[in-house]
Amino acid sequence: MKLGSPFRPRLLSALLISIFLGSAPATPAQAQERGELRIATSYKLMTLDPQYANLNENTSLLSHIYERLVYQDENLELKPGLATSWRPLSDSQWEFKLRENVRFHDGSAFDADDVVYTIERIRDVLKPPSGGFRSYVSGIKSVSAPDPLTVLIETNGAVPNLPLSFSSIFVMNRPSEGFVTTEDLNAGRPPVGTGPYRFERWSSGESLRLARNDDYWGGEPVWSKVTFRVIENPAARVAALSTGEVDVADAIPARDVASLEQRGAKIASVGAARVNFVQFDVARETLPGVTDKSGEPIANPFKNPLVRRALALATDRGILVDKILAGYGTAAAQVFPNSLPGTSAKLLPEAPNYEEAKTLLSKAGFPDGFNLVLAGPAGRYPGDAESLQAIAQSWARIGVNAQPAAAPFSVFNTKRAAGDYGVWYGGTSGEAVDIILHTLLASPNSERGTGALNFGKYQNAAFDGMLAKAESVEAGPGRNAALAQATEFVMADQPIIPLYHFHHIVGYGPRIGSYVMHPRGWTTAMQTLAAAE
Amino acid sequence: MGMISVALGRLSQAFLLLIAMSLIGFIGIHSVGNPVFNVVNVETATPEDIRAATIALGLNQPIWRQYLVFIGNVVSGNFGISYIYHLPAFDLVMSKLPATLELASIAMLIAAPLGTGLGLVAGRRSGSLFDRTMLKASVSALSIPSFWLAMMLILVGAILTGWFPSGGRGATASFLGQEWSFLTANGLWHLVLPALALAIPNIALIARLSRSGTIEVENLDYTRFCRAKGLSSQRILLRHTLPNISVPIVTIIGLQFGGMLAFAVVVESIFSWPGVGKLLIDSIQLLDRPVVMATLTFIAVAFVVLNALVDLFYAVLDPRVRLSS
Repeated sequence: MKLGSPFRPRLLSALLISIFLGSAPATPAQAQERGELRIATSYKLMTLDPQYANLNENTSLLSHIYERLVYQDENLELKPGLATSWRPLSDSQWEFKLRENVRFHDGSAFDADDVVYTIERIRDVLKPPSGGFRSYVSGIKSVSAPDPLTVLIETNGAVPNLPLSFSSIFVMNRPSEGFVTTEDLNAGRPPVGTGPYRFERWSSGESLRLARNDDYWGGEPVWSKVTFRVIENPAARVAALSTGEVDVADAIPARDVASLEQRGAKIASVGAARVNFVQFDVARETLPGVTDKSGEPIANPFKNPLVRRALALATDRGILVDKILAGYGTAAAQVFPNSLPGTSAKLLPEAPNYEEAKTLLSKAGFPDGFNLVLAGPAGRYPGDAESLQAIAQSWARIGVNAQPAAAPFSVFNTKRAAGDYGVWYGGTSGEAVDIILHTLLASPNSERGTGALNFGKYQNAAFDGMLAKAESVEAGPGRNAALAQATEFVMADQPIIPLYHFHHIVGYGPRIGSYVMHPRGWTTAMQTLAAAE
Repeated sequence: MGMISVALGRLSQAFLLLIAMSLIGFIGIHSVGNPVFNVVNVETATPEDIRAATIALGLNQPIWRQYLVFIGNVVSGNFGISYIYHLPAFDLVMSKLPATLELASIAMLIAAPLGTGLGLVAGRRSGSLFDRTMLKASVSALSIPSFWLAMMLILVGAILTGWFPSGGRGATASFLGQEWSFLTANGLWHLVLPALALAIPNIALIARLSRSGTIEVENLDYTRFCRAKGLSSQRILLRHTLPNISVPIVTIIGLQFGGMLAFAVVVESIFSWPGVGKLLIDSIQLLDRPVVMATLTFIAVAFVVLNALVDLFYAVLDPRVRLSS
């Protein structure tokens, strides 16, 4: 009754080991070409049309191929890009001088007509849903090219922010006829820009391959090839960096920083040019989920600035930043991290003061507090769902019972738009302080395009006036001071509770010498410097 | 005649299944949220942008009309254009299929022979040390969650030892107009860990099935006759026991293979393996309805076809089925 030899377990296990472990090649990293940069990114490139959707997912990766007229440096100051200089000729006229000797990847020369084409394509040709960039050119009445290196732009009224708008717009080259459609670009028409790297291959949700543009006007780019691998799972990005399969990995979770450093990876981080906050509905008479302690609906308490102020005083930002973000966040008192242009040096995050908060709450007529549902997205921003829990705990200390309600981002947005929430956690970003103030805190007005994110319908005419005045000033210290003043004024009324500016965290391996972080959160090959051989 | 009516019955069943699946899927993905918030940047778009995009995507229509439009498109062979990628949804699914197909096939090529073999040996020697070890190991292999298994494989196979890459597809080679990893050494190397992560629970499942089948068959008269006739153990096991326990095993292989094609979501996400399962979960997260519907339809068709194949296989494998027909 003995079995034949092929079934002996010991033999089997030996077989198994030899199958799976036997002929291991040395390391997969050896196969890689010299001079190739491999980046693991959380940004999933959606389309090869650079003017389709204004999302970091697209702009971060496409900025290797396409370039802008104007750039924003790490301090968010404007720097020349494809334009070397710009100046207003009058209140409604701008002149941009373009860089000489710039060539597109197909060999054609870059000139003013390409800029005209780009603006016309965004303004007139692209139809919704591809309207992501239209707001940047909506103030432009006409655009012309008096000579190949000059672009003349007429605006509807004064648009002092026009150069900033151009820091978001990628310049395409004019095809021999007509306009290129989004479908053409996605279906295999190779994207042609002036950028430091040229397009090689893209497979959606998987990878983007780029090669060095030897004719780049700004000197020879560092890497001969750049490969982006889309890895959305944070743990998988960390693993890929740990094993040396990639040189750079972005959006590293703060909890993984220590173990990565232990394995020899280096970490770079910067406070993001964005803010996460608690926003109140201050318009409606009653709010869903807001009740007294016995569960009976009450009149909207957030109309009273004392209540908003009390809740702000009872919010412990220290816990959010130190515990939830593991130190990779900055407590917020305004819409951008302090020291960026347009921020106020006077606004500093406060430590919680529960006694005073309780007093304010009593003064407002809620000595026993009340109940509310604190809504927010889960997994959209670092620390979002955990923050809801922490905020609920500190609010409980002044008698306000907050029930956290986290939902996936798209669900959260749908419900917020439908008015299902009375108070919620939100986040926003922008090129500059005024853009955030404009969308988040200015009174909603569809004609002027203000208040798009002011879901709480906060209205403050005095602030609207201050902001409009600041926005009419040309970029520079005067404008920044006016914006800081407007911020101080509006924050005293506490329409939102600024919570934190989370940090963008990037990890990089031994082949990278240094990595320059950008507060806008882009991940690009241009931010890397190769390590000295 | 019999064959035709059976085939017709199967076809109409499959058709009903597809209708039901499309309704459930459509209503399900519809009730999750509004995809427009993933297409435009909510942080910078104006209400006007959002409204225009909603109309452009047809999301302002009542749901029944959207469903009718969808069915109408499907009948004309068109699942619509992905909201996110702006490529035809069905082409997108097909472009992810090779990655999933090779991963699932290799996982099953490991799991089926290994599981069956282990089960045969354990069943043949039931009660032995090997049998008890195999039983315990299979219980643990079946009860550990797949994400944990995948993470452990990465930890041990990639991070601690550095033997295997931690994710991705590696180099691919072109064959039949598609890109395949298993044709290159580098690609095969990338396949090992994810394939193991998919195979291990299936080895356990198949081993348990074949073990219990073997124990049952071992005590039947014909096995004893074989033994009395003096056939070798090996010959009895391979020629007599194996065919007679194969029906449930083939069924489970078919079902599990279908499952791997469709729902290897966890493994594909953790190993960032760009397959159908990852596409499905990404599309659900981004509320990319055309792609979700195209993927679900593909999965339903794949299951129907696999089940039909399994039925056909019964006749080939099981002598009793063959004789009765």
